[in-house]
Amino acid sequence: KKGGVTVRASNERENRGEEEERRKMNKKKIFSLAKGFRGRAKNCIRIARERVEKALQYSYRDRRNKKREMRGLWIERINAGSRQHGVNYGNFIHGLSKENVQLNRKVLSELSMHEPYSFKALVDVSRKSFPGNKNVVQAPRKVDISSINA
Amino acid sequence: MALLCSSSTVILPSSSVKPSGSDRRSPFLGLSLTAISNPSVRVGINGNAKRGLQVKCEAEQATTSLVPANQRWMFDEEEANGPDIWNTTWYPKASDHVNTDKPWFVVDATDKILGRLASTIANHIRGKNLASYTPSVDMGAFVIVVNAEKVAVSGKKRNQKLYRRHSGRPGGMTVETFDQLQQRIPERIIEHAVRGMLPKGRLGRALFNHLKVYKGPEHPHEAQKPLDLPIRDKRIQLQK
Repeated sequence: KKGGVTVRASNERENRGEEEERRKMNKKKIFSLAKGFRGRAKNCIRIARERVEKALQYSYRDRRNKKREMRGLWIERINAGSRQHGVNYGNFIHGLSKENVQLNRKVLSELSMHEPYSFKALVDVSRKSFPGNKNVVQAPRKVDISSINA
Repeated sequence: MALLCSSSTVILPSSSVKPSGSDRRSPFLGLSLTAISNPSVRVGINGNAKRGLQVKCEAEQATTSLVPANQRWMFDEEEANGPDIWNTTWYPKASDHVNTDKPWFVVDATDKILGRLASTIANHIRGKNLASYTPSVDMGAFVIVVNAEKVAVSGKKRNQKLYRRHSGRPGGMTVETFDQLQQRIPERIIEHAVRGMLPKGRLGRALFNHLKVYKGPEHPHEAQKPLDLPIRDKRIQLQK
């Protein structure tokens, strides 16, 4: 039993040492992730731990959001590029899909920036296939009748 | 990759004669298409010009690298032909949005509907009409508005539209009608309208400084050679 006690004591000391090391290692990891944070969040473990947890949550969420945002940016760029040629984004994409042109929006946005003549050719293809909405009903214009009584 | 080959074969002039909107590096027409009605095609200063009218197919691109032979050890196999522009979304470098290279536009506000005019101006200042639009970077142009006191509004807004401001102290609200403000400080009407249509934030405030509004028909920016702002809105002119 004496042997058991001593073994346990030394185990405890070892375990405590390992635990302390483990705790320090965890703190080290947290501080290395907290580089560049504002104020005490990069220096004090209690605050840094919270901020680092939040930062990791944000990065998880934003890895998924980034794909959405990028696609939105491509669509905005394609819109601007095709409007320069007189066709808006909706009609452009509709015409392309009618012609079974399966270029994705990423490539289309890069084309509109770096290969302007190729992009114009694509716009012409789309316009030929879908010339636009000719049956749009114009809303009746409001006429100012205040001048009649005055 | 096949697309690269096909796009270069379809459009011969594009790969060899690259028109550049600004002086040197940016290879896209975004600026010049809007600014110049007859696109003046200038030969790009990159190596394509030297080769003349040549079809750049994939095989040639693999062998003819843009990196000189003695520096090729610095790059990997994939990077030897220059940065990848097809698989990464383009982001402007600092040289792509230098203020001195941006186009200037001038627009006469006489008898133009206020909101429609402000919307067009804000789009051009923000750069949303360019294919190189980036939301975090100021890629837009400068816009000059002249004859600001003659801007028009429809309906009874001339007497009924209110402009409010608050000094921060209790009872410090000042209310003015469109008419009164136009007689007092006519530039403020257009500035107020455009500021409401630009993004709010640091970038938005910097964009607002690219708007120059003047009362009469003269403006002091002749040295910038401003072009006429291309307006595509059919209902912007007041119908009398």
